[in-house]
This record gives sequence, structure tokens and C-alpha cells, in this order.
Amino acid sequence: MENGDNEARDPSGFLSAIIGAPVTVKLNSGVVYKGELQSVDGYMNIALEQTREYVNGRVLRTYGDAFIRGNNVMYISAD
Amino acid sequence: MASPSEPGNRPDEPLDLVRLCLDEIVFVKLRGDRELKGRLHAYDSHCNVVLGEVEETIYKFEEDDEDAEPVTIKKQSEMLFVRGDSVVLISPNPPS
Amino acid sequence: MLFFSFFKTLVGQEVTVELKNDISIRGTLKSVDQFLNIKLENISVVEEIKYPHLSAVKSVFIRGSTVRFVHLPATQVDTALLQDATRREAAQAGGKAKLG
Repeated sequence: MENGDNEARDPSGFLSAIIGAPVTVKLNSGVVYKGELQSVDGYMNIALEQTREYVNGRVLRTYGDAFIRGNNVMYISAD
Repeated sequence: MASPSEPGNRPDEPLDLVRLCLDEIVFVKLRGDRELKGRLHAYDSHCNVVLGEVEETIYKFEEDDEDAEPVTIKKQSEMLFVRGDSVVLISPNPPS
Repeated sequence: MLFFSFFKTLVGQEVTVELKNDISIRGTLKSVDQFLNIKLENISVVEEIKYPHLSAVKSVFIRGSTVRFVHLPATQVDTALLQDATRREAAQAGGKAKLG
């Protein structure tokens, strides 16, 4: 029931496999966050470390840690 | 680093980050080009929050000119409940 | 349940409810339910000139989902108690949203 075989069918397997890795998170608003994935939960709430916030392709701000509310998330991609 | 799938160990979940901010100054990004800075007194799993000593910043963009700098409006509030569905991001430290 | 309980402790207090459509309504908190729907009495609309259509209304029921903020009287909020209650609620809710 852990990752392994299930990974192909179960998105949560992918998400737990990329914990600790650098990721890109795009929100429905178009804003993009790049950082190291600390944790994710079933609502797609996300905790990122060393986060850069991109608006229209430009870095707007950086955050040491950032919690992102899952309903805003369009996708999470491993860099 | 505890892995989230480690049995017996309480998984490190995103909201733990918010729990560690209790009684600290947090930065909250909201829908509709609004931001808050204030002391975190309460939150729940919906991201409803109560903040004290709050400064709200509203960015108003001119409709006809997308490249123009937005007008910023600042408001203060001594104690504020924020409904979770407006919340986009919560960060422990003011961003740089 | 944390915020439902919290708002129940504020019944009778003067609050200002800011809605997502930017209208702000000040009034006495009459009651609240588990969805954080709110009843206000003796209301006045902030910026009445801009929103004249509510000037004849004395009391309102506000659907919780339309609320952006509720501005509260700081003197009526025990912040230490709130933080303790938040930690208890977090300990109960912890892990329920975990993956898979």
C-alpha cells in the first residue's frame, strides 16, 4: 500500500515521492512558487522551504517557509 | 527528517508550519490582491485565522493600464477574523 | 468547532463584518452557527452613501461564505486562551488530511 507499484495509478504516491525535492507549484491565479517541498496533505495544502514567488515570470518575493492553501493549487511539478 | 509515511510517527503536515507560527507575526496573502501582517492567535484546518495588531495592504490595479504600478491602500485593525476561503499563503516571516 | 465556540463568546459585542463584495456592516453580534453564518442587530453600513440600499435595514442574517473579515474588539479577546484552544484543536485534527 505504500509507494512502489501503486505510484503509476495514485497521485499521492508521486507527491510523497517528491518530498524534499525542488518543485514548482502553479496556482489558479497564475502565480508560481518554486521551492523545496516540505510536506503535502490530502487537500493539496503545501509547505515549501526557500520559496521564490514568480508573477509574470519575474521574482516578486522570497519566503523562508510558506504554507499554500490547497484549493489555490493548479499543479505541483518536480523540477 | 521524518518521512510522512513513517508509521507511528505523527506525519509532518503542511499545517504544522502554521502551528509553529502561533503568537508570532505572520504574513498572509489573500485572494483579491490583499495582504495581511499580524500576530497569529488562532487558526483551524480551513485556514480561518484570528490575527492581532493587523496591517492590511490592498493593491488596486488600474483597469486600462496593466503595466502601471498599483495603488496601495493600508488599513489597520486591532483584532481580525479572516475567513479561510480567502487565504492563499501563510508565511512565518515577512517576505523579502 | 474552534471558531464557532470563539464567536459564541463574542455574542453581544459590537463587530464589523466585511463582506467579499467590499460592503462593511457594523452591528451587535446576535448569534452565530456552525457554518459561521452571523446575525447582526442595530446595524449601520460603513460608507452608507456608497451603499444606500441597506439604510432602512435594522438587522441582518449574513451567510458565512460571503464573509471576508470580521473586525473584533481586541479587549474582548483572550489571546492566550485562543492559542491554547488552537493547539488543542490542531492536536485533534492532526494527520486527518494526510496523503493516501
